[in-house]
Amino acid sequence: MDRHLLPEEIDQLLDGEVGFGTAPLKAHVRACPGCSAELESARALVRELEHLPHFAPSLEFTNQVMAQVHVFVPWHVALLDMVRGWAPQSRAGRTVAWAWAGTMAIVFSAAAVFALTRLDTIVFAVGLGLERLRAMGVGVLSDATTMLFGDTAAHVVSQAGTIGAALALLVLLVATALAARGLHAVAALPRRR
Amino acid sequence: MPLSLDLANLPDADVAALARQGRESAYRELVRRYERPVFSLIYRMVHDRETAEDLAQDTFIKVLNHIDRYLPEFKFSSWLFKIANNVTIDFLRKRQLKTVSIEGSPHAATRADAEATSFDVRSTNESPLEEIESRELGSAIEQAIAGLRPEYRACILLRHVEGRSYEEIAATLDLPLGTVKTYIHRARHALRDALGHLRE
Repeated sequence: MDRHLLPEEIDQLLDGEVGFGTAPLKAHVRACPGCSAELESARALVRELEHLPHFAPSLEFTNQVMAQVHVFVPWHVALLDMVRGWAPQSRAGRTVAWAWAGTMAIVFSAAAVFALTRLDTIVFAVGLGLERLRAMGVGVLSDATTMLFGDTAAHVVSQAGTIGAALALLVLLVATALAARGLHAVAALPRRR
Repeated sequence: MPLSLDLANLPDADVAALARQGRESAYRELVRRYERPVFSLIYRMVHDRETAEDLAQDTFIKVLNHIDRYLPEFKFSSWLFKIANNVTIDFLRKRQLKTVSIEGSPHAATRADAEATSFDVRSTNESPLEEIESRELGSAIEQAIAGLRPEYRACILLRHVEGRSYEEIAATLDLPLGTVKTYIHRARHALRDALGHLRE
């Protein structure tokens, strides 16, 4: 090469470009003190630029930004984060938690298997409980009917069975609603005048 | 998925994805990662701490409030710097903020003209904030950068302070690749000229 490097050729070397074109440029720099000094000066500038520091904004910067950012947290993310919050952070704590959860799972599984082998007993117990609950409900309803409408009405309801009791309750609710509406209408009359 | 999210070790795209899912900690992580680079870029562009902080806040608010528009196939930082640059250029255009070299006007024809248009950064009547600014941006190279045209400044800062490739800078600043190379070449040349007297 019988000339000095052009500015863009200095830039090529500065950017570390590789290829057939750069070999003669590098050879020239090795032989030419002027171009070598030029390249070194450019490299010194780049080094200086690369060492420029990053400046820090004020300490409140992040909070000020976040105060104006609308974060929408879906329910499943909130739930997952809550579970993560409850989970122990240490490895030992997590091991204990897993052991506890495993033990509880085994205990409940065993209880479930036991209950399945005694299914007839469970069905009988549940049926008995439901029958007692029904008898208690009918008793309460019968007492209320006696108190409000007398023994005759209570006798009719008890004779009619569950359907009769349900019908009586429905009639009672409708009558109460109509009475309340009527009273409300009567109370509103003077105001209209 | 691990029980506790170790956000600091995740790549930007993953943190942005978590932010899109509505995790506030991911938003904060993105701010933590880029508050200094973004603030520094804007500060060196506008040369005023308070303004730079306001513009950096605007940048993050715009980016984080529209995180759903981020495309993971692009670098998050390129998108962020693009918004930061746009916010800053808009500000400079609106305020017609002139970039004046403390060495004097670049258009000065004679040394006397240059001296007449120069000013002393270390004024004795500086407020505490101005004192910080002159300490931070008072070095010869910072002054030389301040004397560059804004578009040259953005290019040279992204290239050498943020370590971005020419292609990334072109995408960030919406400029053709050739223009970016030209701007960086001219910026380097101008800086070497401005700092030449210190090296002799």
